[in-house]
Amino acid sequence: MSPILLGVLVAVSLIVVLLLGTPVAFALGAVAIAFLVIFEGPSRLSLVGETLFGGLNEFALLSIPMFILMGAAVASSRAGSDLYEALERWLYRVPGGLLISNLGACAVFAALSGSSPATCAAIGKMGIPEMQKRGYPDGLATGAIGAGGTLGILIPPSITMIVYGIATETSIGRLFIAGILPGIMLTSLFMAWSLFYAHRKGVKFQIGMDVYTLKQKLELLPRVLPFLAIIVFVLWALYGGVATPSEAAGVGALFVIVLVAVIYKMISPKDWWAVLHSATRESVMIMMIIGTAALFSYMMSSLYITQAIAESIAAMDVSKWVLLLYVNLFLLLAGLFLPPVAVILMTAPTLLPIVVAAGFDPIWFGVILTLNMEIGLITPPVGLNLYVLNSIAPKVKLTTILWGSLPFMLCMVLGIILITVFPGIATWLPEALMGVRI
Amino acid sequence: MLKKFNYTVATLSRMTGWVAAAMIVLSVLVVCEMVFVRYVLRGSVVWQTEFVTYLLIAATIVGSPFVLLTKGHVNVDLLGQYLGPRARYLVAIVATVIALGFCLIAAWSGYTEWHEAWSNDWLSDTVWAVRLWIPYAAMPIGFGLLSLQYVADLLALITGQEMPFAPKEGEPV
Repeated sequence: MSPILLGVLVAVSLIVVLLLGTPVAFALGAVAIAFLVIFEGPSRLSLVGETLFGGLNEFALLSIPMFILMGAAVASSRAGSDLYEALERWLYRVPGGLLISNLGACAVFAALSGSSPATCAAIGKMGIPEMQKRGYPDGLATGAIGAGGTLGILIPPSITMIVYGIATETSIGRLFIAGILPGIMLTSLFMAWSLFYAHRKGVKFQIGMDVYTLKQKLELLPRVLPFLAIIVFVLWALYGGVATPSEAAGVGALFVIVLVAVIYKMISPKDWWAVLHSATRESVMIMMIIGTAALFSYMMSSLYITQAIAESIAAMDVSKWVLLLYVNLFLLLAGLFLPPVAVILMTAPTLLPIVVAAGFDPIWFGVILTLNMEIGLITPPVGLNLYVLNSIAPKVKLTTILWGSLPFMLCMVLGIILITVFPGIATWLPEALMGVRI
Repeated sequence: MLKKFNYTVATLSRMTGWVAAAMIVLSVLVVCEMVFVRYVLRGSVVWQTEFVTYLLIAATIVGSPFVLLTKGHVNVDLLGQYLGPRARYLVAIVATVIALGFCLIAAWSGYTEWHEAWSNDWLSDTVWAVRLWIPYAAMPIGFGLLSLQYVADLLALITGQEMPFAPKEGEPV
């Protein structure tokens, strides 16, 4: 059987096993084992343990549970609502300030938590009712929060970027820095659309607002700024090459835990067990996918599928823009069904050599890939953020949320186009700060 | 009898959650200690990197039964929404059997790996030279318990104690 045909067979089997509802991690492992045994013999079974262990045996992966723990600690505290409140108090005079503070709070909280659903939940719980109260349409209020939440995987520190960095052996520090400008750009695009739409719908931007004194404006800052300082510290340590991602994440996590305990007086063991419980659950889930994905990519390259796909795409001799279009469509499709981490682990090792051979930059491609994954988070059938929105704003119909999210999805597509036309948006900052990549 | 078995397995799985959480906390502390030694005391670190990496592997594999118990392993549960109860039941059983099959193979393969490291006294090729059977033990233990949890899930499904595609803990319904 030709490797390409084998590849199709692998893809079909994987889709079937996934659709049955088998957890992603075990579906990857089971399909990998089945194909290895059928096409290379049962002796391959002995490799399973070794390959799985090897896939996890990487110090940089430790940054994943560290960042998740950091995010879980922040998400469990009132830091999200304080952040929102602080922005609102400073921006209340700006026309449409409420929208700006909501999206801004999403962007900042995304940096703190690194998680899209957590961002949605933390900011949305406060922001959506407030926006509804002031006459913003339901679709806009929920759409903005859903889209703002997706920034969690783009704005550093981002678990998705760590996984991409490890899977493709690109610098995690560079990837993090590369996410900053696109993150700001996307946030601005979201804000621009929201303001435009709200204005068109006749929302009066300034009615019924409270007036805040300087004291009120300042009193929240001591609770919010220390968290921001930690993020700045983590990024500084990474881009300066001072520390490895795992070291920066470990220290960051400890600081955040201490801050949450001190600022929010969160000291009860029950609260902390809840934080640890959710962090453990999420880390183990992601790490298990990483382990079995190692088995999956071992199978793919042992059966020569990875190489054959790369060769046949190279032989197609299409222009690099057509190639990029296909790659984007493929990622988008995969992102609609699978969590970002799984998509990256399954596709990046195959796609990256193709994309690099076509003359694209691997760091830039990491950003493009992440944007594709962001779209998947607010698109059915498995858009995680949509379900979070549905649970925090139960009175808003799912179809309203969907229609409200659509324009933001188009903002992300526009973002992908802009970063493709002006790759500097992603690559300039890391190169300016860390020098040209060798 | 069956209830007792399921209860015992669930208790074991819950314990693996505590163990994994403790390992994650321990690795945060060790990483911070390492950063302190390296950047403040300007000393050299020998064991920390390797130790925390093994802790992470162990937390992942050993903590997995707990994640399964709390339905935390992500899956694509699209099909379940469109099927009738009988088809849904069959699909859930097939999915569980596939996952169980993988876990059994991983447990067995992990065990042979562990056994080889144990009988040949393998050491890691670092300065610290860890006896590799210690980190490898995570595989037979973790995947073994994970298989056990899957057997319990399967039994619960067959005997009708659990609905296929039941809502997950912490997930919006």
